[in-house]
Amino acid sequence: MYTDMDPRQFEHSVVDDNDIHSIVMSYLLHNCFNETADSLASCTGVKQPSDDRDNIQRRKQIIHFVMEMKALKAVELTEQLAKDLLEKNKDLHFDLLRLHFVELVCARKCNEAIEFAKTILAPFGTVHKYVEKLEDAMALLAYDDPEKSPLFHLLSSEYRQQVADNLNRTILEHTNQPSYTPMERIIQHVTVVRQYLTEENGKDAFPPFSLKDSLKG
Amino acid sequence: MGVVEDTEPPLKRAKRLVDEPNGFSGNSSVRPCSVNNSLGDLMARPLTSQGDDQTIGSKGVIKKSEFVRIITRALYSLGYDKTGAMLEEESGISLHNSIIKAFLQQVKDGKWDESVKTLHRIGLSDEKAVKSASFLLLEQKFLELLKFEKILDALGTLRNEMVPLRINTKRVHELASSLISPSSLISHTTSDPGKESVNSRSKILEELQNLLPASVIIPEKRLECLVENSLHIQRDSCVFHNTLDSDLSLYTDHQCGKHQIPSQTVQILASHTDEVWFLQFSHNGKYLASSSKDQTAIIWEINADGKISLKHTLVGHQKPVIAILWSPDDRQVLTCGAEEVIRRWDVDSGDCVQMYEKGGISPISCGWYPDGQGIIAGMTDRSICMWDLDGREIECWKGQRTQKVSDIAMTDDGKWLVSVCKDSVISLFDREATVERLIEEEDMITSFSLSNDNKYLLVNLLNQEIRLWNIEGDPKIVSRYKGHRRSRFIIRSCFGGYKQAFIASGSEDSQVYIWHRSTGKLIIELPGHAGAVNCVSWSPTNLHMLASASDDGTIRIWGLERINQQNQKKQVQGSSSNGVIHRCNGN
Repeated sequence: MYTDMDPRQFEHSVVDDNDIHSIVMSYLLHNCFNETADSLASCTGVKQPSDDRDNIQRRKQIIHFVMEMKALKAVELTEQLAKDLLEKNKDLHFDLLRLHFVELVCARKCNEAIEFAKTILAPFGTVHKYVEKLEDAMALLAYDDPEKSPLFHLLSSEYRQQVADNLNRTILEHTNQPSYTPMERIIQHVTVVRQYLTEENGKDAFPPFSLKDSLKG
Repeated sequence: MGVVEDTEPPLKRAKRLVDEPNGFSGNSSVRPCSVNNSLGDLMARPLTSQGDDQTIGSKGVIKKSEFVRIITRALYSLGYDKTGAMLEEESGISLHNSIIKAFLQQVKDGKWDESVKTLHRIGLSDEKAVKSASFLLLEQKFLELLKFEKILDALGTLRNEMVPLRINTKRVHELASSLISPSSLISHTTSDPGKESVNSRSKILEELQNLLPASVIIPEKRLECLVENSLHIQRDSCVFHNTLDSDLSLYTDHQCGKHQIPSQTVQILASHTDEVWFLQFSHNGKYLASSSKDQTAIIWEINADGKISLKHTLVGHQKPVIAILWSPDDRQVLTCGAEEVIRRWDVDSGDCVQMYEKGGISPISCGWYPDGQGIIAGMTDRSICMWDLDGREIECWKGQRTQKVSDIAMTDDGKWLVSVCKDSVISLFDREATVERLIEEEDMITSFSLSNDNKYLLVNLLNQEIRLWNIEGDPKIVSRYKGHRRSRFIIRSCFGGYKQAFIASGSEDSQVYIWHRSTGKLIIELPGHAGAVNCVSWSPTNLHMLASASDDGTIRIWGLERINQQNQKKQVQGSSSNGVIHRCNGN
């Protein structure tokens, strides 16, 4: 039966509390907020898969190592967790190793940095797609103060977060878990749908979507 | 007063010039050089401070110090170091002042830090040049440190000396990368590093020469360059220049005589039985093709001794044949019957292999695709048709043409389609970009010719003028050629001779006209035919062979005057220059 649903009357559609809890839970687990997840579970009674405990703990550690500028440690643990993961994800592996190089440069350990680059990073340079990234990293050496160089973004925490997120998703994928949370997916859907509605019906009928505004209520 | 004794050290010698034997007359003012040259050098002034206003030569435009310096430079370049040094000493004009000498020596010896310091002492005003030169020197220092595996030192140079210059950031980053793989930057030769350094150092000297002003480092090969320029100018202004062998000598100004232009009938081909309307040499110069009102076309062969004989007569048209065109590979020809059909013939056999026609309309001009795989034709209904070799129609345009397309051609590179689209307008159609450029003439256009390099178009006008257009970019008129007669018929003209430096045309007064292309000067008129000369073609391979087609039913082949042909042979062997006008020195 065809129900005439007006998109503007979205407030009338029913949302299940359990669904909301599941969405939040999955978000927390994705980002390794295990204590918060435990808390949510006990308050709402929503289930969380227990055999994932170990996975979450290890993932959490790995990600922290990346953010704390201990990329090599992160690599080590990842290899323990999932043996061939980095082999199968060369791009990610390279990014992590490159982060280590950046850490060495920041710590002013030039000799070590050059040695590391020569032995570990240089072999990647035979593949064309890594060459530019490699050159960007090497360029940092030319500057006394890497923060003042044109490549300073490699030192930023935003960049580290980016790599960390990538690593997180890859591990999840590797262990057959969803690499994107329902939360993210839902927001992406809403954004696209709202945009479509605005284009179809004009700005007056459907003003462009802003998440920020929606959150204000 | 005579010259001061040679025992004094060169720098302090004062020189007085008296009665030079070779008569450097003119307004050369005589003045002693400044005595305290040593102080002058320390102050690092530019080189032109020594006896500046002394000039040589009859026109007073050559500064003596510059002249001597470029000679000195040439001597060193030729390897005559002793002579070079002697000249510096004897003339009192040193090639470079002592600071620059020191600088150049430091570069040669690879003393980079010192060279950078010395560079700053030279006192150049162009900061950018100083930075670029410093960068160049430091880069070499970096590379040499790398080669000897002094990685940290190299890194130090990069960071502390090169980065502060704030130029060539990309190169700085590349050099940083080379720290891990030096082989990527330095050549893979395993020759001994010492020898390689020498090579790269002389390259540095070359690059420094380009970066720094010429008055600071006299450019190498400057004298040779000036002489070459002069030779080029002489050759370009040689109106009759039509020889392959450039026996340009430095001893006399170059000028060919008229003897290099074909001016005598060497053969008459009388096989046609009516007016001959068109002819063209093949691209390889081995054949000549002609077409006639007698409804035939003839392929002639040019034998090794220069004599021409009939190869095939192409029979088949039922109307006068208005044109015959060679395929790009010279193995086939296209003939166009006047408002009849187009026929394609095989040159070897003389057989007609294909006919091209379209119901109801007929062609009045035709051409080949540059790859020889297609035919274009201008039709009586003012459209342009294109066929593939087998006769299948590829395209047909019915543009805004207001007259029959009396002439059509495609450039060698396939890019442009050139056609007469209105009485006095030629269309240049870009086939890729599908845009059209127009050449608007002042009078009605009767025919045109494309130059070999597709950059020029020769246009024949009703008003008896021939115009040369440059069609690269926006079309512009370059030259005009006048003198011949044309009133009722289509007369064609062509490019020819050495580097297509000449324009030849037929004329209704029965003569062949030849002009010098760049100056527009009429060089020669050739009488002989007994009727209007409709078309001329200059052999692409034999600079001295020209063919003309006439209403008198004959084709005349023109060549050099006999006496000269014998001398030509002598000329190739000996060094005597026939036809070269000797000039006095200095005039």
